[in-house]
Amino acid sequence: MAQAVKTKTSSRGKVSPARSEDQFAAVRTLFENRRAGYSLDAPFYTDPEVFAADMKGIFGQHWLFAASLAEIPEPGDYVTIDYGPYSLIILRTDEGVNALHNVCRHRGARVLTEPAGTTGNLVCGYHSWTYDAEGSLIHASSPGEINFDKACFSLKRAHSRVVAGLVFVCLAAEPPADFDEVSKIFEPYVAPHEIANAKVAFQQELIEEGNWKLVMENNRECYHCDGHPELACSLFPTWGLTEELVPPHLEDAWQRNVTAETALQERCNRYGLPYEVVEELDTRIAGIRISREPLDGAGESFSATGRRLSKKLLGDLRDFRLGRCSMHLQPNCWFHLLSDHVITFAAFPINEHQTLVRTTWLVADDAVEGVDYDLESLTYTWKQTNVQDKNFVEMCQQGAASPAYEPGPYMKSEYQVEAFINWYTQRMQEHLG
Amino acid sequence: MTVSTTLTAIPDVQRIRGLEMPWNRVFQSTPEPAGAARALWPWYPQEFLAECVETVPEAGDMLTIVLRRIDGAPLAFRSGQYLNIAFPVDGPDAEPVNRSYSISSAPTQPWTFAITVKREEGGRVSQWVHENVRPGMVLDMLGPVGAFHLPDMDRRARYLFLAAGAGVTPLMSMIRTIHSLPGRADVVMLYHGAEPGAFAFSRELEHLASVDSRIKVYYSLGDRSVTGTWQGMVGRLTAQMIDEVVPDANGRQVYACGPEGYLDVATDFLSKVGVDDTSIHMESFSGSRATRLEYRDEVAFAGEIAEEIAAAQDEAHEPEPVTAALDLYQIAAGTEAKADDGTAEHYETGDVLAAEPTASAETPAEPSSFETVGQGSLNMSFLRSGLNVRIDPGEEILAAAKQAGIRIGANCQEGMCGSCKIVKLSGDVDMHHQGGIRAREIEAGKFLPCCSTAQTDLVLDA
Ligand code: FES
Ligand code: FES
Ligand SMILES: [Fe+2]
Repeated sequence: MAQAVKTKTSSRGKVSPARSEDQFAAVRTLFENRRAGYSLDAPFYTDPEVFAADMKGIFGQHWLFAASLAEIPEPGDYVTIDYGPYSLIILRTDEGVNALHNVCRHRGARVLTEPAGTTGNLVCGYHSWTYDAEGSLIHASSPGEINFDKACFSLKRAHSRVVAGLVFVCLAAEPPADFDEVSKIFEPYVAPHEIANAKVAFQQELIEEGNWKLVMENNRECYHCDGHPELACSLFPTWGLTEELVPPHLEDAWQRNVTAETALQERCNRYGLPYEVVEELDTRIAGIRISREPLDGAGESFSATGRRLSKKLLGDLRDFRLGRCSMHLQPNCWFHLLSDHVITFAAFPINEHQTLVRTTWLVADDAVEGVDYDLESLTYTWKQTNVQDKNFVEMCQQGAASPAYEPGPYMKSEYQVEAFINWYTQRMQEHLG
Repeated sequence: MTVSTTLTAIPDVQRIRGLEMPWNRVFQSTPEPAGAARALWPWYPQEFLAECVETVPEAGDMLTIVLRRIDGAPLAFRSGQYLNIAFPVDGPDAEPVNRSYSISSAPTQPWTFAITVKREEGGRVSQWVHENVRPGMVLDMLGPVGAFHLPDMDRRARYLFLAAGAGVTPLMSMIRTIHSLPGRADVVMLYHGAEPGAFAFSRELEHLASVDSRIKVYYSLGDRSVTGTWQGMVGRLTAQMIDEVVPDANGRQVYACGPEGYLDVATDFLSKVGVDDTSIHMESFSGSRATRLEYRDEVAFAGEIAEEIAAAQDEAHEPEPVTAALDLYQIAAGTEAKADDGTAEHYETGDVLAAEPTASAETPAEPSSFETVGQGSLNMSFLRSGLNVRIDPGEEILAAAKQAGIRIGANCQEGMCGSCKIVKLSGDVDMHHQGGIRAREIEAGKFLPCCSTAQTDLVLDA
């Protein structure tokens, strides 16, 4: 159920160059010198100039994941989110979803200061300028004021669209067009989980002391998955291997995986669920990887035994044994969709060395905590995993800050990291011209 | 002249998602117009007299006894529940013998109801029932009882019914109920019997399966040595058989009823095909001592509840208020939890309790003791400020409150910004807002005093 692209009602002001031509050229040179197959040079992770360029070239240009409809279930519900210097209000309206820049048109105060809430009109806390859900200024108490044209001071809007219950935004004046195709790719995988009929069971926010790219890089490989003992119960230990690469001690696991995969595909065919791998991580602007894969054990959920963590199936799904549908989108998100719950992950850059990672666990909206699911068990595996990942990211950030750091090679199993960096480099080079 | 026929494809049936029992709707409606429907709320057992109006012999040496209540009330129950009936087996003057029988009819046809009794070899009561119960006979009964029943609301409504022999009775009620209700459901019944011709209700089941695309019925004979023609399956229940008839058993709620041994193997096989034990609901009547004791306890407890309610009604001379009856049902649900976790109950009680107004319970002080200021024909009590403010109809509430020194934050004064929002505990206002408040908030009792006038006396949380 992709919704029409919302067009802006006011034009965004020109972004004035924040840095000198020299610095601009320096950043461009960094990209030109990037050595393929190797991790990036230190400034990519540590330099505020590069960060500022990232915010414009990546976050200011591309479709970004913002939230899911489950976080704003009813008209009037909103969340505020920040991408570096940008702050947005994601507002559920009677018609759909609006993305508004959270910058008051009076003197620029944050209009809404809470991370989430419910509101009718939007009232700036400073001098009470009041905007409607479309961002139009409808009230500015100004005794004696004449010749004041409210119509000139609407909140700026960003493009937003909802695909299968996921809200995406784009800050560019002209959003890249290939997101249409990409949403057609992932919608059939995601829609059966009916995120619009799910509710937030838990949301975790971790501020990782690391550049946003390190967060994404870490997410795009499982070379380090030995460091995730809880997650290891669910992922087959052969994950990422091909038949030729399976060492003798993993042959049993390989067989178990093959059997589980065949059974899962049979089920998917029966229920009309797609499972094929689609991988276009750096071959298009809206880079994507999606697939549905079996889970180890009972194959139902991210628990130690593989059994379900919520007793209520999502949407109209017919079976608990649907493994995990995993989706990676460039540049800032990844998702795991299971029969009984969905986990959304989003990276919100704060500055060159800090990133907010927001993880949201969704269950069917008629699932009752304590009856149908136990919150601790539901969130256990990924809470542990996230903390471990935070640690890995921070280890790398520290490394990048050391004078001794130099880029190292990505291994074969890290091809998705290379794809992410390749995507990033291409997009930035296009942007920097 | 030519005659042409066009074959038109019959379009698929369109239904709303899931299944909902009709009494759910009653919870949401006002007491008055829905008064009649209240009688259908199946939340506590009663003692009542019922008269046999019909007996229907069924295949498998079973007898269906159709009954109606002497007092003319409908019988409210959840499909799958049972009744405890006192049979005067040893004559009208001797102590009657109590037995529990599942109701086989659907609660959606509540004016008559039915039990179906299998004639057990050597069974004193069942023999007596078959030979003696006839139209006109009045029996004393208690019910409905039992936690083995369909949920009141299920938006997935995918079921596997496992029936063996006489165990089909409560499942029959469930199938009839689902057939009589709107909503998307997916029901597969796997029905085991000893021999061809022993399947009670099979003609009706066939009919239901043929006219209702939501229902599928499979028959299997426990014994492999079948003579004559038999078109169903053969063999005892196995995991493979379950997987064949319902490859998606894992995602279904399973309701199983039959002899102990059958239920034991069913539990085993269900877990083999990945059905979680929290999705399995079982009932056994022919059962072990333990099961019988459990029923006895349940019936005894139901009797206590019935007595209490009868006493409460005598006193009040009016129907028991919703909450009191509910509390009793909740207690019952608690004891029934042993049987199936009581998950179904948690829902409806939760919903109903949430609908109860709670705000007035927290009244901090008695407004009659407050000082009163201002003039006007109506009174506004500001609970937190501890002040009564007089106001005239048509006069704006915010202005009057501010005048009296009550602190309410306000900005636009036009119903746009929402900053003056407060909670109204009682009374009516006339509000002309401009988007400063959501319908949801209004439902929760909030309003914007800057653009509202008083229509009645008000009690306000400010
Ligand atoms: S800055 Fe928002 S109203 Fe003044
Ligand atoms: S003061 Fe703005 S809505 Fe009442
Ligand atoms: Fe990790």
